[in-house]
Amino acid sequence: MDPILKVQNVSKRFGGVEALKDVSLEVKRGSVTGLIGPNGSGKSTLFNVITGFYKPDFGSVYFDGKRIDGLNPDEVYNMGIARTFQTPRLFGPLTTLENMMLSPKGQRGESLLRAPLRKTWLNEEMQIANEVKSLLKGFDMDGLYKMLASDLSGGHVKMVETSKGILGRAKLILLDEPTAGVHYAVGKNLFEYINYLRKTYNLTFFIIEHRIDLLFDYVDYVYVLHMGRLLSEGTPEEVASDPKVIEAYIGGA
Amino acid sequence: MFDISSFLISWFPLFGIYAVLSLCLNLEVGYAGMANFGLVAFYGIGAFVAGYTSITIFLTFYGYNYPIYSPEAIIAMGRVAGKTPWLNISVFILSLILAFLIAGLAGYLVSYPTLRVGPAFLGITILSFGEMLRVFMKHFAPTGGAYGMLGIPHPFAWIPDPAIKNTSFLILTLAILIGVLIYFELLVNSPYGRVLKSIREDETASLCIGKPVPQIKARLLFVASGISGVAGALYAFYLGAITPDMFITAVTFEVWSMVILGGRGNNFGALLGASVFSLLNRATSILNFLFSDLPIDPNYFRWMITGALIVIILMYKPKGIIAEKPIKTEAWKIFGAYGETKKKLIDSILRIIDYLKSAIYWLIGRETGYGPDIKGSKRE
Ligand SMILES: Nc1ncnc2c1ncn2[C@@H]1O[C@H](COP(=O)(O)OP(=O)(O)OP(=O)(O)O)[C@@H](O)[C@H]1O
Ligand SMILES: [Mg+2]
Repeated sequence: MDPILKVQNVSKRFGGVEALKDVSLEVKRGSVTGLIGPNGSGKSTLFNVITGFYKPDFGSVYFDGKRIDGLNPDEVYNMGIARTFQTPRLFGPLTTLENMMLSPKGQRGESLLRAPLRKTWLNEEMQIANEVKSLLKGFDMDGLYKMLASDLSGGHVKMVETSKGILGRAKLILLDEPTAGVHYAVGKNLFEYINYLRKTYNLTFFIIEHRIDLLFDYVDYVYVLHMGRLLSEGTPEEVASDPKVIEAYIGGA
Repeated sequence: MFDISSFLISWFPLFGIYAVLSLCLNLEVGYAGMANFGLVAFYGIGAFVAGYTSITIFLTFYGYNYPIYSPEAIIAMGRVAGKTPWLNISVFILSLILAFLIAGLAGYLVSYPTLRVGPAFLGITILSFGEMLRVFMKHFAPTGGAYGMLGIPHPFAWIPDPAIKNTSFLILTLAILIGVLIYFELLVNSPYGRVLKSIREDETASLCIGKPVPQIKARLLFVASGISGVAGALYAFYLGAITPDMFITAVTFEVWSMVILGGRGNNFGALLGASVFSLLNRATSILNFLFSDLPIDPNYFRWMITGALIVIILMYKPKGIIAEKPIKTEAWKIFGAYGETKKKLIDSILRIIDYLKSAIYWLIGRETGYGPDIKGSKRE
């Protein structure tokens, strides 16, 4: 099958730092693909290039066969790529419910002209709320719907962030270190949930993770970045036994 | 002699105008997090558009050929302003529409280049735009330069009894204020309001869930600046005379104080802030009038009290007197808790009635001991 995401010869430089050097990779449709590498190796930068935050200096990005590297982040999202950030970015003073309700794209009630006309969007709003409820129920959080996002525990924040993409009808979800800052067991739970979402909703995940032990139990394929270059790729077993990878990690960045 | 009805007539239109302004600023700052430091520019544009349009139309209609700022024109306006009620009303309505469109367009254009960069750029750009515009207007002969315009035809100039005339204007202002309030309440208690708040909290994250942030901001500025322009037009008709120096940057910060004091992200907070400050405003001018030989001009006190109030409120209620609430779209109903909120609604209505009663008793000075114990009646 054709890959859902294709990154071709992408380079990105910040002043003197070459954050990405001629990186090419593919993410298979329906897979859970991992992206690892030491600190500062360019993983987050790659996500930022894919989601339209940075324009690559060179190279191109294709999603579902369409070129997306000139688009703005909102346009990329509307094409079907959702992402999370390395540090959680929920809207703190908004409730869990409000945070989730923001995800669906193209809501009628979000237009300046229709907003005051309740009738035009109330039905859609209730449908979305229903969907949010069943998602929240899926991880026992429906009781927390009116809690402010800033008051949620770390684990809950991760669940909300990960599942938000479903509401946006994303086909590909990019997660930047989803288990950072949570307990191992919570992280395992999260990966179980990711696996469940992938199967239920036919999703593709592309995941940056430093907890390699955890990641390798759940991914189909792994890419390794080192100092902005693609160092290695393959199944978890292949990558784990690649001497170059071992050296990069032990030798430090 | 202190006369309550003349006090109301002199206070209320100003309150209404300031309340509209603070509702607009609250929409921009309180909801969308856009630091508009140049609100006064759009307010001024509205006032000048209204003044210019109305005087020009009147002079043309009556076949006068004077420049609108000339003494002859002012005298002519005095003669004809009350002759044709339908002209007054239609000129008034037309001026309001033009003020909305031109001020709105100015807001859209001025802000557009700055929307993709940080919020500080927007604030500073609009701030300097307002100052430049004021200085420009002082030297712009067609609208009277530094002297501005006189003889702006009051929409009710044809009513001979000044009390009825002023009351009519008061009711009109009130109607516009209520209209704006209802419109804004509907606007923000919707998915749109939710998007505005997300932009305020984290523009980048909002962009990342597909919200076209620069476009949303530019359109919001169009609407809010346009309505600020309507407030300016009302002001011009209320005073009948305007000069560029009425629209100094301090006006912007006065409105900011109202929003900060009343509560950001809450329309009723903005309304409360506007009433507190416009009352303070009136109170100091009445003091000035009653005691003509005070050692300090009470108008200076006003700014001190403003500052003190803001410090005190921010210390004890950092979110303002009326704090922000989650938007009301009924989505929560899906999660149950139907009856609970209905009861809450009745409770809060009863509480408001209590407050009103005690306020009235306090005003007429009756010692009844009646009225809510403020601390005791605070619920949850
Ligand atoms: N906006 C930026 N401006 C300047 N330099 C940047 C910028 N973003 C990233 N960099 C640099 O690019 C390099 C790669 O950074 P990146 O954040 O992609 O690493 P990473 O692999 O995600 O690291 P970590 O595992 O610590 O998150 C680093 O040297 C970083 O300092
Ligand atoms: Mg990173």
